[in-house]
Amino acid sequence: MKLKMDFVSSVALNGKTGKKKINFILKKVKDGSILITDGVLRPEEEMDLIKETMRRIDDGFPGIEVCSLKKQTNGFRLFFEKLSDGRERVGNFMLRRITGKPSKTKLKTGMTLIGPAKIIKRIKKNPDSFSVLAEV
Amino acid sequence: MVFSRFFNWIRNYFRLRKDIRLGIYGCTNVGKTTLANRISLDFTGEEMGKTSKIPHETRLIQKKEKVIIESNGKKISINLLDMPGIATKVDYRKFLKYGMKKRKAKKRAKEATQGVVEAIKWLSHVDTVLAMMDSTKDPLTQVNITLLGNLEARGIPVILVANKTDLKRAKPDNIKEAFPQYPTVPISALKGKNIDELYEAIIKHARKAE
Repeated sequence: MKLKMDFVSSVALNGKTGKKKINFILKKVKDGSILITDGVLRPEEEMDLIKETMRRIDDGFPGIEVCSLKKQTNGFRLFFEKLSDGRERVGNFMLRRITGKPSKTKLKTGMTLIGPAKIIKRIKKNPDSFSVLAEV
Repeated sequence: MVFSRFFNWIRNYFRLRKDIRLGIYGCTNVGKTTLANRISLDFTGEEMGKTSKIPHETRLIQKKEKVIIESNGKKISINLLDMPGIATKVDYRKFLKYGMKKRKAKKRAKEATQGVVEAIKWLSHVDTVLAMMDSTKDPLTQVNITLLGNLEARGIPVILVANKTDLKRAKPDNIKEAFPQYPTVPISALKGKNIDELYEAIIKHARKAE
């Protein structure tokens, strides 16, 4: 009865493209680890993570459980965050067009837990905290 | 065939498509197909799909074209899309609990995973989304958060539908509190409760994606 937890710094994931990030996460989770990162994937990357998980589901791997806590922003901070997001999107689009290579995106401030659905039985989320029930 | 594809492309390119693609999204068993059937029955006289207590009953996207929604003298023409439920896990063992044979359960699980992938791919093609939630359950699930985050990033208008208000334990206000930035309509798709308010909301908020 062992439970492996991997704590990954956002620096380790920021250097990767969206696809590489998802491969990195799913490899760890499929091996049975619960992954905790000090950052949050972008909504598009989260959806890609679900999509890729579906493609990898088999008898021994029924999927994942994910929970993320984002830093709440409002007012001017939210405006500047959206502006910065837009700038990054335009920059990435141009880079993709010029070099043809997929772009690297930074994780947003927050925390994410991703684990195998086989182990994680329940996640109870509140606006600023979450609790996880796991069974090995 | 080639010509109709070409004209469709031209029409889409110049945004001449008249009908709004209205996608019904949400987790599994929140009542997406029940609502699609209700809308379709009210305006076309035909149902769209089969409902079931077993999760992932809808594994292929169900489409109904040219549905004219009318409310308070206003009309809107939509292409209604009932999407497979989005999930982060699909375990065939869960289907066995409903008395399904192992082989059939595995086939259903495989089809369900493909359905989720298709529903996600279609996020790039819908104009407006009815994001359905079960008002008897906690709305702060990662699937709901991810779905709404994606729709916001894509600039797709969203109407939250707090379903199952006919049940005693329903708390549609929890959905409003969790996601105050979206218009929320509490309904019972099964009983048709408050459905006219939803039609009004669709006419008010539905538009083609930018």
